[in-house]
Amino acid sequence: MSYLEIKDLEISFPTPKGKYIAVRDINLSIRKGEIISIIGHSGCGKSTIMNAIGGMLTPTGGSVVLDNKNIKGPGPDRGIVFQNYSLLPWLTVENNIFQAVDSVMDCSKAEKHEIVIKNLKMVNLFQHKDKLPGQLSGGMKQRVAIARAFAINPGVLLMDEPFGALDALTKGSMQLEVLKLWNLNNREKTIVMITHDIEEALFLSDRIVVLHNGPASTIREIVTVNLPRPRNKIEIVKTPEYIELRDHLLHLLTDHFSIEDMGVTYKN
Amino acid sequence: MSNSTTATIETEEIVESYSLLNTFGKVIKKESLKNASIYILEKAKSIVFACIGLTIFCGFWSLLSYYTKDSLPGPTVTLKVLYEMLSDPFYDYGPNDKGIGLQLFVSIKTVLLGFSLGSLFAIPFGILIGASSFFKKVFYPIVQFLKPVSPLAWFPIGLVVFKDTGMATIFIVFITSLWSTLINTSFGVSTIPQDHKNVAKAFGFSKWRYLTKVVFPYTLPHIITGLRLSISVAWLVIVAGEMLSGGAGIGFFVWDSWNALSLEKVISAIIIIGFVGIIFDGFFTMIENKVSYKA
Ligand SMILES: Nc1ncnc2c1ncn2[C@@H]1O[C@H](COP(=O)(O)OP(=O)(O)O)[C@@H](O)[C@H]1O
Ligand SMILES: [Mg+2]
Repeated sequence: MSYLEIKDLEISFPTPKGKYIAVRDINLSIRKGEIISIIGHSGCGKSTIMNAIGGMLTPTGGSVVLDNKNIKGPGPDRGIVFQNYSLLPWLTVENNIFQAVDSVMDCSKAEKHEIVIKNLKMVNLFQHKDKLPGQLSGGMKQRVAIARAFAINPGVLLMDEPFGALDALTKGSMQLEVLKLWNLNNREKTIVMITHDIEEALFLSDRIVVLHNGPASTIREIVTVNLPRPRNKIEIVKTPEYIELRDHLLHLLTDHFSIEDMGVTYKN
Repeated sequence: MSNSTTATIETEEIVESYSLLNTFGKVIKKESLKNASIYILEKAKSIVFACIGLTIFCGFWSLLSYYTKDSLPGPTVTLKVLYEMLSDPFYDYGPNDKGIGLQLFVSIKTVLLGFSLGSLFAIPFGILIGASSFFKKVFYPIVQFLKPVSPLAWFPIGLVVFKDTGMATIFIVFITSLWSTLINTSFGVSTIPQDHKNVAKAFGFSKWRYLTKVVFPYTLPHIITGLRLSISVAWLVIVAGEMLSGGAGIGFFVWDSWNALSLEKVISAIIIIGFVGIIFDGFFTMIENKVSYKA
């Protein structure tokens, strides 16, 4: 059995109009150390799947098994970067991370502070450590959330659109940071991330999971990215393999979105 | 606990403005000078307006006094009596003749005691009701049922239970102080955003960490609002309560002055009661502003 096994996963929400099935028939086997991207249109159930892995949601059908243990709730083996940062507004940047580290890690106070500082420096926020989240830009908040998830040193990193609010430059350097961290840990950390960005998915991932549109969304295709690592962002885009993959993904994500499909007719 | 939270937020503000000052140096100084003069102008304006209102009020008062042929004492007579009262506030000529300062002291002590006890009960209970739908279902109907009951109706019960008028007065202040704090606290707790709860869940916060780092800081502004409303009503109630209990306090003083047919003293007491009310309210408004945070 693989490291992280999602089997016949179904998640539905009770709504006033009855049961709303967000995702169903999700089957996915993830190896230890793999980087997986989930890609799909807004509302197709990406966050839902990730929350099931994170243990924030209980599946209404099927199971999620991590390291041979059925996931029943959140745990220190998984670090989550939420889509909306989820920082506590009354705690400083430093304290936001420290509370998570203090809660999860089993070491001395001094070591915990060291971990916090190290991760703050990694996301380039050390000089902002005494600010409150309300005094940060969206991108900075996102970096705090990333630092917080990294700081607890989890085996599985779950990132829900972690670079969505970042400008192109910061985004690029954060992507490299993630890869650096992954390499430093002998590529043993498993990363599952959600993204809207095809280029980002291709640059980072081993496999890309493309979802159908909801409701009752299923997996449309799992695309394997067989590009050699380390990948050079500038060189890689010129290779025929990359171009083929990119076109294929673009096709998967946009073929229902031609102008005719949207009911627009063009008059001469 | 409340102190430490306030303190961190305060230091945050200080640190922030300090670094701003460093970065922009002179610009900020000029700005703040301009801001200060605007502030003083605004304050002066509002004082002028308040004086206009006060003058109109005193005019009506004089008129009323004139038409009742001075059986309602006018502003000047009253202010003279008020001045006399305030110039020797702490005399003590036996149980029925004490200075206004001593009476006020008794009332404030009773209010603070009853209010503190009430708050100590209302805040944890409010958190409990806000956090658990079970407790809410069980206890909220009782709260809604008892809240509109005049606190004075509790006086006889207090007398029976404590067999002491002083204790009974504290008891009614206690009851009065419960409702606003309890309701505001439970509302605050029940509106904690899912995002904040997710943080606690994802990073395995212990109950204590969740309480002190999520529930309490989020709810604190709501709690302070509740406390402010509670102490206002408590201060309302104490006057009536002391009229019932007698013996001491500003309420007793009002009643006693009325029996002695000294309306000047009654009105003077009303003015003092109003001032103390403003001070209580101002104190909690100040804390309210201190603990509110930007999301
Ligand atoms: N708590 C919930 N209650 C009801 N419906 C929900 C809930 N959470 C998500 N959904 C629905 O499930 C679908 C998938 O949501 P989500 O996983 O957040 O999409 P996305 O792919 O944009 O992350 C959406 O239609 C959303 O409205
Ligand atoms: Mg989402």
